[in-house]
Amino acid sequence: MSEPLVFMMGKFEARIPVDRMYFESHFWAVPHGDALRVGFTAYAVRLLQDVYFLDWQIDPDTQVRKKQTIGEIESSKAVSTMYAPADGRVIQFNEALLNDPSLINADNYDKGWLYEFSTTQPLLSPDEYVKVLEAGWEQTQRLLKNQFNE
Amino acid sequence: MAGRKITVVISQAPGKNPVKRHLEEEIATRLMLSGTAEVSVVPHLYDLTADHTGMLWLKSLRGNLVVLGWLYPRAIRWVLDRNGVKGKEGESRLNRIEDADADDQEHPQEEVAASRGIGAIDVPNRLIYAIDLRNDGDPEVYIKEIERLADLVSVPLVQLGFGGGLQLPVLPGNGPATNGTATAHGANGNGTPDHSHNGDTGSVISGIFSNGNSNGTNGHAESPSLPMTSPAVIGGGDVRRRWYPVIDYSRCTNCMECIDFCLFGVYGVDHSDRILVEEQDNCKKGCPACSRVCPVNAIIFPEHKTPGIAGAEGGPVEDFKIDLSKLFGAPSALEMAVLERDQELVADGRDAVGAAVGLPKRQTCQNEKTRDDLDDLMDGLDSLDL
Ligand code: SF4
Ligand code: SF4
Repeated sequence: MSEPLVFMMGKFEARIPVDRMYFESHFWAVPHGDALRVGFTAYAVRLLQDVYFLDWQIDPDTQVRKKQTIGEIESSKAVSTMYAPADGRVIQFNEALLNDPSLINADNYDKGWLYEFSTTQPLLSPDEYVKVLEAGWEQTQRLLKNQFNE
Repeated sequence: MAGRKITVVISQAPGKNPVKRHLEEEIATRLMLSGTAEVSVVPHLYDLTADHTGMLWLKSLRGNLVVLGWLYPRAIRWVLDRNGVKGKEGESRLNRIEDADADDQEHPQEEVAASRGIGAIDVPNRLIYAIDLRNDGDPEVYIKEIERLADLVSVPLVQLGFGGGLQLPVLPGNGPATNGTATAHGANGNGTPDHSHNGDTGSVISGIFSNGNSNGTNGHAESPSLPMTSPAVIGGGDVRRRWYPVIDYSRCTNCMECIDFCLFGVYGVDHSDRILVEEQDNCKKGCPACSRVCPVNAIIFPEHKTPGIAGAEGGPVEDFKIDLSKLFGAPSALEMAVLERDQELVADGRDAVGAAVGLPKRQTCQNEKTRDDLDDLMDGLDSLDL
């Protein structure tokens, strides 16, 4: 398997494996059966840090539109609503996370997957995703700083 | 004791949460026993219709008023205002969110927003203190604060000594008091619904309306669980849950974007062309769409789960945690509003209109918010293909 790409978040190396595709909202996707397994990228996990709580607000096997609210996540450092990464169908959730969301931290690229999803919309290649990260890093830092300074 | 009496109205939590009921009853009982306040209890303020006995009761009160409820103070204040229960905003210590960094004195954005609104109209010279009961589970906290407020606003009172005599101090020397001097005249005889005094503590206005019920809901007051002391709920306990927007006129600039956006006829204007939530019950339960469209965050949905929409002072950031929603694909406020409105249109058997109808024309961008917010706004507009 080829070496992952690396994006530097300050001193932190966010690994971006090249064996999969990406959504610009910081999720990876790997084909699994007929669907895609979707999870947080290392970039997302670095920002979240320890995940305490994950809650899905839709039932498995639900048609969703891009940016539709599908759940909530809370970590030691952050809260976020979870949104559908594209138009498509959320097929099922990773049951293991409901008991122990810390799998997201422990193994974000494998056992910490979030849900299975099917979509016909185009995804990003690893290279394209890293470009998204490069383009957005300034703004991400600003977002974090602004919130801290509030 | 008569020297420091203030009127307190407790707005009950919706539902039957025993912990909340207990807190309400504790506060009511203790205040009455200590004689600090005239206490009455109404059902959940937000759910009261304009002709509900509880709301009529609130309207009949004169003088400084403390309203405790399970809502953000801004929501309490503007729900009252919409119903003609008007007054100047009293500042309670309990509403000051303990600023972790107290040196962070300025909130320039807030102030800018606050000073630019069209403001409330016909505001009489009295103070209304709105206090959120979610501040603390300890009744003592509220008692202390109410005692403090009672002292603060207390002036010598004229004892009127017969039925209907609510002894309310007027606001000491602050602007044109009704009759020029700081006595308590004018506090009574103002068309208050006929009621008898429950002589006991001299301060209990309980049970007055326990069977008068103007809106056809179950007219029985809940039986007080603390015999003798806890006041009955004015207008009865069971009130239909409602859902509608509440405008904060200290922020609203009368730009009319909400009226253009809402396709359900909720908004209207009053005789002086001020925006008004006219047909409250046309609003779609759970839909907060127009609050996202308002450029100054003046539209409150008091029951929405997002604090910023429900009337919390600051933004939607909880617990000093960072909100990463934007990173994880959050739609802009406008995209969200359009999605939500479409959902409601479809639920109503109408066609989704997407971004084609009633979207703000913000070419003037009067916004002095941070550059970041402006960026987001522009992004939102771009992605909507306007
Ligand atoms: S959109 Fe907001 S500021 Fe404009 S009129 Fe409506 S409530 Fe007022
Ligand atoms: S929430 Fe929806 S239905 Fe209610 S007033 Fe706003 S736009 Fe209209």
